[in-house]
Amino acid sequence: MLINPVEKDQKRISELELATGESISDCYQCGKCTAGCPASMDPAPSVLIQFLKLGQFELAKNAESIWSCMACLTCSERCPKNVSPAAIIEGLKNLHLRDMDPRVNLETMSRDFLAHSPQMAIISGFRKFI
Amino acid sequence: MSEKTVRVPYYPGCTMKTKALGFERSAMDCAEVIGFEMDELKDWNCCGASYPLTKDNLMGLTAPTNILVEAERRCQKEEVDPNLLTLCVFCYNTLKRTEFAFGQDEKKLETINAFLDRKYEGSIRVIHYLEYLRDVIGFDNLAKMVKTDMSKYKVAPYYGCLLLKPQKEIGLDDPEDPVILHNFLDALGCKVIDFPAQVDCCGSYLVMREPEKVSKLSYDILADANEYGAETLVTACPLCQSNLDQSQGDKVQFADLDGMPVLYFTQLLAIAFGLDTKTHLLEEHHIDPRPLFEASGSSDGESK
Repeated sequence: MLINPVEKDQKRISELELATGESISDCYQCGKCTAGCPASMDPAPSVLIQFLKLGQFELAKNAESIWSCMACLTCSERCPKNVSPAAIIEGLKNLHLRDMDPRVNLETMSRDFLAHSPQMAIISGFRKFI
Repeated sequence: MSEKTVRVPYYPGCTMKTKALGFERSAMDCAEVIGFEMDELKDWNCCGASYPLTKDNLMGLTAPTNILVEAERRCQKEEVDPNLLTLCVFCYNTLKRTEFAFGQDEKKLETINAFLDRKYEGSIRVIHYLEYLRDVIGFDNLAKMVKTDMSKYKVAPYYGCLLLKPQKEIGLDDPEDPVILHNFLDALGCKVIDFPAQVDCCGSYLVMREPEKVSKLSYDILADANEYGAETLVTACPLCQSNLDQSQGDKVQFADLDGMPVLYFTQLLAIAFGLDTKTHLLEEHHIDPRPLFEASGSSDGESK
């Protein structure tokens, strides 16, 4: 595959860096984030960041795996370059959510979940998926 | 109880009043034995549960700031140390990180203050109940208050994520190799089961969207604890407790594993103190912990 950085994408990547407070170019692809990720994300955190480094914004933004991040912060804690993949992933999710593109359907949500889950799970879920 | 009871301002959070009522009740009963009172803030709101990870999300800081203002006013009025005690790990993480953010960035604080139309001066120090036991009471003093022989219980300390991470902001313990729960269990006299999965994530709020993944992650943690010989697991987080405990209802995933009770550390502390645990809602856990403690609590339960 031939990868050409898209100029429009570069602008959006800069905006993502500004919003998240992260410096994507600092990543040197060591893969510690991916090695420690308990969410079995595919594309993995380091791959998502590589998409961004290559100027492929849409590939990162539309990756289904971003919705499996549980913000355990293992990646951020282990990054030797002080990048927070979890923050970048949340930045990508926020773009969907702010466009009114939720990832949980309230109407079909399991009543069982609402009845039995601790409030913190419901509130966090609302923040991360809706 | 000691001669003078210290009152510590306390923020419960939503889960503590509903699904984790047994956590709060056991913590309060134990505090009374230790000699302090958890003095609940009069007017509190939800902290928002998860701290916003992106810098642009200032809105997520308004709820925790409102709580810090309330605590600051209380402490100033009553002239007590500006500590705010928490039990729920999500609340602890959110409030602690908010406290840290304002220490780093005064402009942020000014913006939030202007939005809330309240003035938070930045004096509150958010602490966790475990931290209070370690740093103020001292685990060695705690050990002297233990009434029950706990040496027969093989207990695995489970930390999860948000009690420890990010270390730079929380600073409670080492996130990769923590000891605070180990030392707590040591003080109680339990047989502490050190196991590799003690800091692995249980799946957290993913339970809303991918419960099967949470089942799998919970299984991995419990199977690991089981392999190392644990009979029960303790945690400080209501969501870890819920995920690890409720997931065991997934009979397919858990086919080869016997039920393992998952307790709040304060529920175990109450047992160690020999307190009446009737109100601590042990019976509401999916895997009932009572048989383990009742069986070995009596003299004929020494078999294993």
